Order: sequence, then structure tokens, then C-alpha cells
Amino acid sequence: MPDQTITDLYNYDEFVPEKFERWMRFDDSPPVGKPVLDFPLWNLDQTSTSLKTEINRYTYTIVEFGSFT
Amino acid sequence: MNKIASEFEKKEIGSIFIYTHEAHPGENYPHLTSMEQKFQHAKALREIYGVTRPILIDSLDGACHRYFGSMPNMTWIINRSGIPVYKSDWSDSHSVKNALEYFLEIPDRRKAGERLAPFHVERLDYRNQERELFYKSLERNGQKAIEEFRKAFPSG
Repeated sequence: MPDQTITDLYNYDEFVPEKFERWMRFDDSPPVGKPVLDFPLWNLDQTSTSLKTEINRYTYTIVEFGSFT
Repeated sequence: MNKIASEFEKKEIGSIFIYTHEAHPGENYPHLTSMEQKFQHAKALREIYGVTRPILIDSLDGACHRYFGSMPNMTWIINRSGIPVYKSDWSDSHSVKNALEYFLEIPDRRKAGERLAPFHVERLDYRNQERELFYKSLERNGQKAIEEFRKAFPSG
């Protein structure tokens, strides 16, 4: 069960620095060259999968993160 | 990025798009409060932007996105063993293509007798800011998204 506080903070309701800047944490992201953790993900039809399941399909996988903006 | 995905698929390169959260919530696409809404937004995004790659949905608390640094539009290239070989805090198809072409040469170089060992490199790449497209996407989210962006970045 996701932590509700994290969920609310992550899904901020307005684009103001005190709400979005905390999430610009690329400097803290995992390094290249070391295995990453696995995470549950869902297909658009709501069936479940995982990051490792998806990246295990190909020699390399391009993983783009994004939304409408 | 769709074009890159299509171009490299025949070379054993996969491509996925992970839908995260609304960086600029607006009247039309507000901040997320449920997984049901998250699926709806992701489906709308596929239709509106014509995303041809598989779109995958992160958990509501963005566990996967947060682990990778939670930048609004970033790209990683990860090998089959789960090891990232490229990470970029913004998505740029030229940069991704350049990296893929480099990685795809490695087997041939090894076959040719080169003894290769991994090393780390940092590089400052340049992305197309595509301002018109960005403002169009803000408009799509709603007037609130435009006003908040202008307030946060008055010279933007």
C-alpha cells in the first residue's frame, strides 16, 4: 500500500517551486553500470508486469518517463 | 522517440514509455488521485500524442519514477541484465540514437579482436527545447497549467 503522504506530495496539485522542486532529484538517481531495482508496472489494459520483465525482452531497452507535459 | 523506437526495434532494442504524474496539472488533466484516473490519462496520452511504444503505468506514488530521479521527461537505456548504460535527465532522440549506435558497435568491435572494458563518461548533450510544442501541451492541460508555469518561470 503506497504511503498516502508520499502519494499526495508526488501528485502535487499545482506547479509551484515548493511542490515540484523536491522531485527534481536526478543527482540522486542510480548510477550507470550497477543493477537497478525492480518495480511493478501496469499495462494500459491494467494487467500487471514489472520493469525487469520488460527490460528482459531485448538486448537494450529505451525507458522514457513522462506525462502530458 | 517513436521514430527511434521503430528504427531500432529490428536491432534487438526495445522501447517503453512509463507514464508518471502530471508535471503541470491543469483543469483538463489535473493531479492524480487514483490509479483509475492514471490509466485514463495514460490512454488519452497515447491517443493525443500518438505514442506507438508500449505505455506502462507506474504506481500511484511513483515508486519507479522516484527511484530513477523523478525528472519530468527523462530517458534511460537499460540492458537485459538490468544495468543502466545511459541516463539522461531530459529526453532527446538525437542523444539516444547516438548512444544506441555506439552500444550496437560493441559486439562487432569485440568480434574484430578489440579487448573492451567498461568505463564511465559524462557528457553535456544539447536538446531541442521545442517551446511551441511545450506550450501547446500546457494549453492542453488547461489555463491553470500555463499560468503556473509563467509564474514559476517568468522568462520562460
